[in-house]
Amino acid sequence: MNDSVLVLSIASALVAGTPILLAALGEIITERAGVMNLGVEGMMLIGAVVGFWCGVSTGSLTLSLVVGGLAGAALSLVHAVLAITLRVNQTVSGLSLVILGSGLSAFLGAAGETSLLERANGVDVDPLLPAALRDLPVVGPILFGHDVVVYVTVLLVAVAGRVLYRSAPGLSLRAVGEDPAAADAAGLHVVRMRYLATAIGGFGAGVGGAYLVIAVLGTWQTGMTAGAGWIAVALVILAGWRPWLALVGAYAFGALRGLGFTLQIAQVSIPSDFLTMIPFIAAYIVVVAVSASPTRARKVAAPAALGVPYHREER
Amino acid sequence: MTSRLVVTPRAKPSMTVRAGVPFVALLVALGLGAVILGLTGAAPLTVYRTMFDASLNGARAIERTLTYATPLILTGLAAAVAFRMKAYNIGAEGQLFLGAIAASGLALQLPAGTPAVLMVGAMLLGGALAGALWAGFAAVPRAFLGTDEIITTLMLNFVALALMNYLIFGSFSFWRDPTRPVPQGNTIPDSAAMPVISGRLHVGFAIAVALAVLLWWVLRNTTFGFRVRTIGDSPRAARYAGIGVPFATLAVLAISGALAGVAGAIEVSGVTNRLDPKSLAIELGYTGIVIAAVARLNPLGVVPVAIFLAAIATAGGSMQSIGVRVEVVVMMQGLIFLSVTAGEFFVTNRIGLRPAGPPEPAVTAAAADALEGAS
Amino acid sequence: MAVRQGVDGVGGEADPVALAGGPPVSLRVDRISKSFYGVAAVDDVSVELHGGEIHGLLGENGAGKSTLCSMLVGLYRPDSGRIVLDGDEVHLRSPDDAAALGIGMVYQHFRLVESFTVAENIMLGRGTAGGRRARRAVEEQVDALASEYGLAVHPGAPVWQLSVGERQRVEILKQLSRGARVLILDEPTAVLAPHEADRLFDAVRLMVDKGHAVVLVSHKMQEILGHTDRVTVLRAGRHAGTGATASLTPAALNTMMFGNDLAGTDTTEGHTAQVPGEPVLTVSGLTVTGDHGRPAVDDVSLTVRRREIVGIAGVAGNGQRELHETIAGLRSPATGTVTTAALAYVPEDRLGTGLAPGLPIEHNLALRSFRREPHARRGVLRHRAMRETATALVDAFDVRGARDGMPVSFMSGGNLQKAILARELSEAHDVLVAAAPTRGLDIAAAEAVRRHLRSERDEGRGVLLFSEDLGEVLELSDRILVMFQGRLVGEFDRGSVDLDQVGLLMTGAAE
Repeated sequence: MNDSVLVLSIASALVAGTPILLAALGEIITERAGVMNLGVEGMMLIGAVVGFWCGVSTGSLTLSLVVGGLAGAALSLVHAVLAITLRVNQTVSGLSLVILGSGLSAFLGAAGETSLLERANGVDVDPLLPAALRDLPVVGPILFGHDVVVYVTVLLVAVAGRVLYRSAPGLSLRAVGEDPAAADAAGLHVVRMRYLATAIGGFGAGVGGAYLVIAVLGTWQTGMTAGAGWIAVALVILAGWRPWLALVGAYAFGALRGLGFTLQIAQVSIPSDFLTMIPFIAAYIVVVAVSASPTRARKVAAPAALGVPYHREER
Repeated sequence: MTSRLVVTPRAKPSMTVRAGVPFVALLVALGLGAVILGLTGAAPLTVYRTMFDASLNGARAIERTLTYATPLILTGLAAAVAFRMKAYNIGAEGQLFLGAIAASGLALQLPAGTPAVLMVGAMLLGGALAGALWAGFAAVPRAFLGTDEIITTLMLNFVALALMNYLIFGSFSFWRDPTRPVPQGNTIPDSAAMPVISGRLHVGFAIAVALAVLLWWVLRNTTFGFRVRTIGDSPRAARYAGIGVPFATLAVLAISGALAGVAGAIEVSGVTNRLDPKSLAIELGYTGIVIAAVARLNPLGVVPVAIFLAAIATAGGSMQSIGVRVEVVVMMQGLIFLSVTAGEFFVTNRIGLRPAGPPEPAVTAAAADALEGAS
Repeated sequence: MAVRQGVDGVGGEADPVALAGGPPVSLRVDRISKSFYGVAAVDDVSVELHGGEIHGLLGENGAGKSTLCSMLVGLYRPDSGRIVLDGDEVHLRSPDDAAALGIGMVYQHFRLVESFTVAENIMLGRGTAGGRRARRAVEEQVDALASEYGLAVHPGAPVWQLSVGERQRVEILKQLSRGARVLILDEPTAVLAPHEADRLFDAVRLMVDKGHAVVLVSHKMQEILGHTDRVTVLRAGRHAGTGATASLTPAALNTMMFGNDLAGTDTTEGHTAQVPGEPVLTVSGLTVTGDHGRPAVDDVSLTVRRREIVGIAGVAGNGQRELHETIAGLRSPATGTVTTAALAYVPEDRLGTGLAPGLPIEHNLALRSFRREPHARRGVLRHRAMRETATALVDAFDVRGARDGMPVSFMSGGNLQKAILARELSEAHDVLVAAAPTRGLDIAAAEAVRRHLRSERDEGRGVLLFSEDLGEVLELSDRILVMFQGRLVGEFDRGSVDLDQVGLLMTGAAE
């Protein structure tokens, strides 16, 4: 029963959704502070290549994820300087970041490609929980069969939700994204908070990239994120900037990504390219439907100052 | 009192500043690139020298560069016209694929004996139409529901990519060459190939430049351009002036999509001669956006910026000969984009040490107003 | 040292009323200067204030009041001069520094996060915890402060649902809850109805009685005379005089404010009654849905005829904006109709609706005529004709500071307004709708705008004037309509205005 296609594909959805969720969670923090960073794809790639390099060098999953995260954060600071300090168009800056990230990661990843391949399986990504739990029917593989990152990510979602809505730093962060002038007048450091939020976003994307390459794919390949970062960006909007909805969305994306494999086993013949399309078409439909709904849920949820640089009129 | 940096907006940046700052930014990017190359054990000067030789030294190199620049000019124009109106079409990537699909489809379906002028003309029109229609999936919701076009155009890129992959790799459509076991696009007839100017450089380059001039003229000298510029600056002021914002949104996004679609058609007709996902899906669309930004959304500026970027990109192949990865050129592009984008701040703002220089009358008035605004 | 000589006999230094546990606050500004782009906004100004007094800061727009206050709260850093608080020089680098020292300001444009509740806004930036318990503690504190000063407001309400007066109370409570001892109120009555203003001054009086120092920034002389203990006048960035309010006459203040040149200008000149002609604007049964989905304009009917100025009085945010935007075609009505002859419109926000900020003057002046000859022929623009029109209009309307190709956002407010008038009045029109046309303008520019409104009427057109400045409405209008919560609640003819009644209607207190 635990080997059934359905159970396995649901279980794999959680794993496949986790890197997207990590990146989306980071981007939620960034955008909640009013900074739109479209460079998630680039930051994930940098996190992936650096994290993977660290993984094969040290064999430590934790260290790889942290180092990958730091690499993503470092790249995000480039965007922070441009978007926050120099107040350039954030769309353009974010896109440039994608190009830089994909170029730099491909360049760095090529440095020792063969050695990376040889030691790809050297990192410990074992399941966290005891076999007794994992072997429970149905819920075992789905809920208890995963590595530590999957669980920590769920924990992070809970923490992010709580911090955003139930803590002073969260209140400050949202204020900076809603009305930076009001936040400034209240004595908050708008620029500092936006830098921090951007770096957290970069860290999330970097960790997501590192996890994707180490635990999900297992090998580094140039451009291996294949749009995962873009999905994370879309997911932030679809989830209305709310962590728990991002979790649901990320797992749904993960499920759709894994669906092709499942259907193949089930011998349903739908061309894999159409399956690839499904999450993007779904996202498109959701975005259009939400904007068509009379309540305008999306408009209400979007941070009012998203993408708007703040500049106190000090001369 | 210690002196400190003060930032003041420039009312009207001089030509020196507008040309000088990007140049300095370029040097900064080359410097940063040199540092990264140096750290990874490559010799920066050799790399740059090789790049120059590969893309600008000699007629063959220049032909190659201009050929590569052609789709970038068009996707750059696609972004420039849309961004002018603050319609953030980042879907040129997918619109280009649709243009390529339509153009190659027409080339394969029309009788092979069709005269080249008609054939190529039909491909360009078909590509433009397909790109415009694909953009319409984002334009209609944006115009009538206010749907964020960044996200819809982005999603549509991935759908278009999957569609193109399906036609070649996932099915036995007529786009695919049935004689080969390895999936590959069917070769288009000779009459569908873009006429050549010189060597590898085809007429598509001239078409792209002509479209740049045309777009520049339309934006500057027509009432349509007036509408676009007004909406781009202030939709409310435009609405008050009686400018129909939804219609203009549809029109501009259709033009934008058409330009990207033409890029796809020209690539099929002039370079790949078949629907070839591998050589089309190289982020020409995304790069075009940054090209447009670097060119300050000026269609005439798009041409030189695209050529410069193409010069770097075409150098990729030559990197192998000196033992450096091809991807170094993408990295260099990213560095240049970021550096020039950052430079924009120094174009629109004057940085000086306090006390600031003698005031300009107009800026003084702005300052006086700002004081009251701050109250 | 000047001592208050007002109604309830609370002293200044002679009879200090201490804040709990400390001596009365004293703040001294010593020869402070600040310039922008080499132009002095505040030039060598000294002021002293003390706990227990309301200190008026009087001056016309642009006199440097805002700049001075911005330095007191750490938004701007002085170029030279000192700020001395309780005997110690302080260096204020941010509003946070100022808040920590007990200096707080209530801005004219409120600094509240609209999507947050009152309590959340007050918690913001205070470094408290954010959990439920902390929130309840803040709500209790807000309630306590609110009842102490008579500033009733519901702590759990989201700010966007509050009226302007309530938002102002939230701002004051925010400052008080942060321990502000020096409270600066920047033009606090600009957005209030008369009786709301009275209520505000009652609260302010309670504050100074408890030892706070309050700075009342205003350009309204009556307000300064009626509610302050001492007053400092600024003129063109310089200190024009300080004195005990009771010892100053309106004439003396007038001279301080304007020098000897402008003193005594009669702004009510030139109003001659005319017989109104046929209707040029008719609104009937108009209901408009506001941004938050509730009716902002509720069953409004009105008529404007030729040769009359109809003034709409009301506190900001009672549907005026939605009404004039609907008349101008920027919004669509839920029900009802607007019938108008050729319309000219001076919108509330000059940059954004009136003008496209990033585009040059010649483009903006052609916004209404770019489709037609001589500015375009068969869809092709004629740049030379557009430039010629611009030059002619700039001359005719005395628009200054415009340069070829320069974005209009670099021009001053007065010149922006003149540019809008130039464009709108040069188009053929029968009726002019003007929304807050003099807001933020200096005296000369405001007077120029008023002259245009009058001559519109005298030339046989109709004018519909929206203004929060009741004085302006009374001065210009032949008929006055009062708007409250989206409805027209009163109508007065020029000769028969009952000021008290208007005030009460403006806030719904009349019913």
